[in-house]
Amino acid sequence: MGPQSRSRVAVGPVSATARRALAVYGQHWRINLLTALEYRENFLLWAAFAVVYHGSAIAALWVVLHAFPSMNGWDFRDMAFLYGLWMLAHALHDTLFFGVGSVPEYVRDGEFDRLLIRPLDTLFAVIAIPGQVFPDELILALAYFGAATWYAQVRVDALFVLCVPFVIAGGTMIELAINLIVATIAFWFVRVDAIRWIVLQLESEFTRYPIGIYSRGVRLFLTFVIPFAFMNYFPAAYFLHKSHSTFALPAAAGLLAPLIGLAFLAVAYGFWRVGLNRYQGVGH
Amino acid sequence: MAALVPGRFRFAPYIEFGKKAIAREATYRFDVFTSIGSFALRVYVLRMVWTALYARNAAPPGLPLHSILTYSAVALLMGLVLDVDQVSSLYEKLHDGSIISDFMRPISVPLYFFADGTGEVLFHALLIVPSLALALLIVHIDVPSAGAFAAFVLSLLLGYFVGFCVNFILNCTAFWTLEIHAAQLIVTWLTDLLGGELVPLVLFPAALQNVLYALPFAAMFSTPLLIYVGQIAPARYPAAIGLQVVWLLVLGAICTLMWRAGVRRVVVQGG
Repeated sequence: MGPQSRSRVAVGPVSATARRALAVYGQHWRINLLTALEYRENFLLWAAFAVVYHGSAIAALWVVLHAFPSMNGWDFRDMAFLYGLWMLAHALHDTLFFGVGSVPEYVRDGEFDRLLIRPLDTLFAVIAIPGQVFPDELILALAYFGAATWYAQVRVDALFVLCVPFVIAGGTMIELAINLIVATIAFWFVRVDAIRWIVLQLESEFTRYPIGIYSRGVRLFLTFVIPFAFMNYFPAAYFLHKSHSTFALPAAAGLLAPLIGLAFLAVAYGFWRVGLNRYQGVGH
Repeated sequence: MAALVPGRFRFAPYIEFGKKAIAREATYRFDVFTSIGSFALRVYVLRMVWTALYARNAAPPGLPLHSILTYSAVALLMGLVLDVDQVSSLYEKLHDGSIISDFMRPISVPLYFFADGTGEVLFHALLIVPSLALALLIVHIDVPSAGAFAAFVLSLLLGYFVGFCVNFILNCTAFWTLEIHAAQLIVTWLTDLLGGELVPLVLFPAALQNVLYALPFAAMFSTPLLIYVGQIAPARYPAAIGLQVVWLLVLGAICTLMWRAGVRRVVVQGG
């Protein structure tokens, strides 16, 4: 042991770990950006796809609400804002936590074992695996959210500016939690593609319209079981001053999104720890 | 590639290619449950969405709620078949270089892809039976007259062939780019919107409609669907189906040109 390593120990294990994690995370983004630069045409096509993906969803909403001006009292302006809230949380999730969705693949290919022996928290190691991630969708989502907020004539006051980052963080945590649960299921059942796909569909379908159009059972499910309604419906209803008769929840319930997200994520993380302890590998 | 076929053309091998593709697809049972599950979910959401919209607004002329629910459910059923990329093996073979061994076989390679892809699609067509049963639990689907149904089937087949050409063209671009997934997803999403799979084209603003009807996307989804729900009257069948044939010929010609140009410059990485 040289003098240098001794002085490092003196800094304290927590800060050393944090510094190492930060360095790893920095490398993660460096490699991501270099990959995007290396495959420039492909990257541009994927960015174009992000535009088409969200553009076609918004265009479909516009066409429908052009022909039918009101959906349970929501017009196109309201729906554009509803979509913007979801899009921003979803884009933030995909930019930061894309790796979590790949866990089933790692488990199936036996690659997950490599992550277990790294001197880092396993979940962090998963998140820090470089992929072809570039914050193009996030930039698009930020721009769209700004435009939608203006278009929907939402009052941008101090409360709005203060609350929106927390609401978005809440939405991101809800999405991360559900993906973490699916990833954990892969420890027991190696093939979870089906569940993953269904969950993705559930999210994109059930966050697009005001949940008042669904039956009571579905609304309960979206509020209390898998709280997708807190990703965008309840916060949007609050900011747009929509009355919702859903379960007599007060209007400000929308601002609970970060707490709901945190609670849901805590449950998911607990499940992940249980799964991690039980994990036996697929026997390669 | 007729020049590669020695002697008399034989049909039997292509039937076998199709059968093999069916057997291969049948091994992915998980995908079956996913397809049916997500199908049921989308039918439910569509029912709730259209019901809510019709409850508070005036219905557009000629398109009552039961028609639009029928349209949406049949569109999703068609999607089970038409959204399958039946030529993806071309991309895979170009990507890993195994296309070379196909060139050495005494067959027409494009026809092989057509047989293989059709087998794959036929397997997915089997999904229509349980999906339809499930859909009928969620929504009521109108049954058209025998004449309209016959025209629908013809139009649907033409739509399938147009879709095959689109997929073939997309996979052929791998001759040059080796990577096609982003481009493919872009086209899929555009088809869903501009082809009337998500929202019937009759609900688009009038100025846009005329453009959209003329595009190949409409030839895949919108034309058969509008025939099914009676928005295209029998008197307009020849014009509507004729336009599908025109698109099939145009896209078929592009397929041929791209294939010929692609084969001449095929690049195989590594060895």
